[in-house]
Amino acid sequence: MTAISTAFGLVFDPTVLAVIMGSAMFGMFVGAMPGLTATMATALLVPVTFFMAPVPALGAIVTATAMAIFAGDIPAAMLRMPGTPASAAYADESYEMTKKGQLNLAMGANLVFSVLGGIFGVAILILLAPVLAEVAINFSSFEYFWLACLGLTCAVFIGTGDPLKGLLSLFIGLAIGCIGIDPAAGQPRFTFGNVDLLSGINFIPTLIGMFAVSELLRGAVTMEKGGHVVAQAVGNLMTGIGGVMKRYWFNFLRGSMIGTVIGALPGAGADIASWVSYAISKKTSKEPEKFGKGHVEGIVDATSANNSALGAAWIPALVFGIPGDSITAIVIGVLYMKGMNPGPSVFLQTPELIYAVFIIFILANLLMFPLGWAAIKSAKQILRVPRNILLPIILIFCIVGSYAMTNSLYGVVLMVGMGVFGWLLEEHGVPVAPLILGLVLGEMLEQNFMSSMIKADGSLLGFLSRPIAGVLGVCTMAIWALMIWRALTFGASRAAAGAKA
Amino acid sequence: MRFNDAVVGTAFLLLAGAMIAMTFTFPAFPGQKYGPSLFPRIIGGGIILCSVLLMLREWRGGGRPLLVLDAWARRPGRLASFALMLAAMVFYILASEPLGFMPTAFLIQLVLFLWFGVRPITALIVASVMTIAVQYFFGSLMRVPLPRGILDSVL
Repeated sequence: MTAISTAFGLVFDPTVLAVIMGSAMFGMFVGAMPGLTATMATALLVPVTFFMAPVPALGAIVTATAMAIFAGDIPAAMLRMPGTPASAAYADESYEMTKKGQLNLAMGANLVFSVLGGIFGVAILILLAPVLAEVAINFSSFEYFWLACLGLTCAVFIGTGDPLKGLLSLFIGLAIGCIGIDPAAGQPRFTFGNVDLLSGINFIPTLIGMFAVSELLRGAVTMEKGGHVVAQAVGNLMTGIGGVMKRYWFNFLRGSMIGTVIGALPGAGADIASWVSYAISKKTSKEPEKFGKGHVEGIVDATSANNSALGAAWIPALVFGIPGDSITAIVIGVLYMKGMNPGPSVFLQTPELIYAVFIIFILANLLMFPLGWAAIKSAKQILRVPRNILLPIILIFCIVGSYAMTNSLYGVVLMVGMGVFGWLLEEHGVPVAPLILGLVLGEMLEQNFMSSMIKADGSLLGFLSRPIAGVLGVCTMAIWALMIWRALTFGASRAAAGAKA
Repeated sequence: MRFNDAVVGTAFLLLAGAMIAMTFTFPAFPGQKYGPSLFPRIIGGGIILCSVLLMLREWRGGGRPLLVLDAWARRPGRLASFALMLAAMVFYILASEPLGFMPTAFLIQLVLFLWFGVRPITALIVASVMTIAVQYFFGSLMRVPLPRGILDSVL
């Protein structure tokens, strides 16, 4: 109990509350701007949180991302431009509702079910994480090795349209992670005698490069000079919400459930959760013919799912130190920077920090209601901020943020290099999220792999000798087999299509 | 700008080959069977496997053109926007130490604003306000040692 009261004390501190409020508004703004994603919001926040204590730092990230995922729904409904990729699944649907004159209902449903879905995901996080941590406390390097493999595999398998390119991206991330001093023997690798590279590839400039700079490069070529948007006025948001709730309560539960499961799976996050739950909603609906023509049913499913996924993604991140999506990958990077290695021991040593994260999550979801309301009402003004002013300002933030991480130009050089590299990869259909996960998990994976190799004396059977490690190992290898099979058939079907054409 | 997968595969194949070749310069420690070269070699092998699969897939599919240019790459204005965005970052790397953070950031914003069609008055005001705000927040509050450059005596 004392840990919980300490946690309340940590959170309900004026500075922390001010940070939460500020990052909430920041998240709302970034989420509502088409082209700026929740991951980018996090990447830009990290340099600022770097100078804070752990609780406000985590609070800022939790709040900003929760708000951004909701705020992405606003331009989706008003302009048919999803503010974040997590809203893309139902952007057409909400826009059709707007065209039918149901903007109020679309926005109201998005707001209410985002809040409820978010709370659902957090509830599961609070219930499940401590239980899992008790199991995880007995894990050895074998279990962690397989867990990391499983997480990285899921990132490739679920998170990407083309598993082969996802896998390539993951290996590139792991290779970049090898740069610097090796974690087992202390041997410098791939440093070319450069002092900056000796400390490894700094995570934050890489992140800013891949998620923000590459977005700026794409934004520069799609800039509509002097472009302006027309947003509609919003009336009473709550009219008809009661009816929607009564009619589609099952959709809410199902959407939240799917979102939670997908979020908790390492490697897949809110984006995929909303696509999957929207598809399931359409498949099982009694009136599938209404989908795509402005029907609220699929929106209830998907908007609950993407917000519940956000909280659930923290389960593997806090318990095992394995990120559930690219946002928690950043969080894990931040935890390491603060000297708190995520894993079950955090639950024992500093439970008040874990409780503080839980409290902030609940707070953020409750705050979402009034702030979301305000954001919807002022959407006209927010969406009027022109991108031609925004992009150069973001560029300056990227540069200063990267500089602050190394206090030298090395950070900026790294950011530019990684930004161009990330842009090139995405141009060629290679997703960057697996790369970031590989970079974050690389050192942990290698460490556990090397110590497992030494313990098992090179015998691969030794990796499966402990019961939980065995189950995890077999699951991982089953997914690998499935992946190879899918890659082969994917290639074959493409070859067949090519032959026909 | 999009190369086909065979080109992408070849590029990564070469990179991974170089990476594996470099691991042979790592020292081996007596009595330790698994040294610092093991993990990079496995990863390098993974990249090579993916690259070869990518190349095979491209060839079996009949092969697309080596390089496809997007619509924007053929429009000089858009191409210039892209180049300018990149040039702004390179300019910061080159100029921030001699000029200092404030003049560099101000110039970058001003030029980009004007290029993207912001009205000159607005551009001047926003660039000045943002430069001072960032310098104050990061430079003074967060104590990031942003380069002072030519303003050294003033700041």
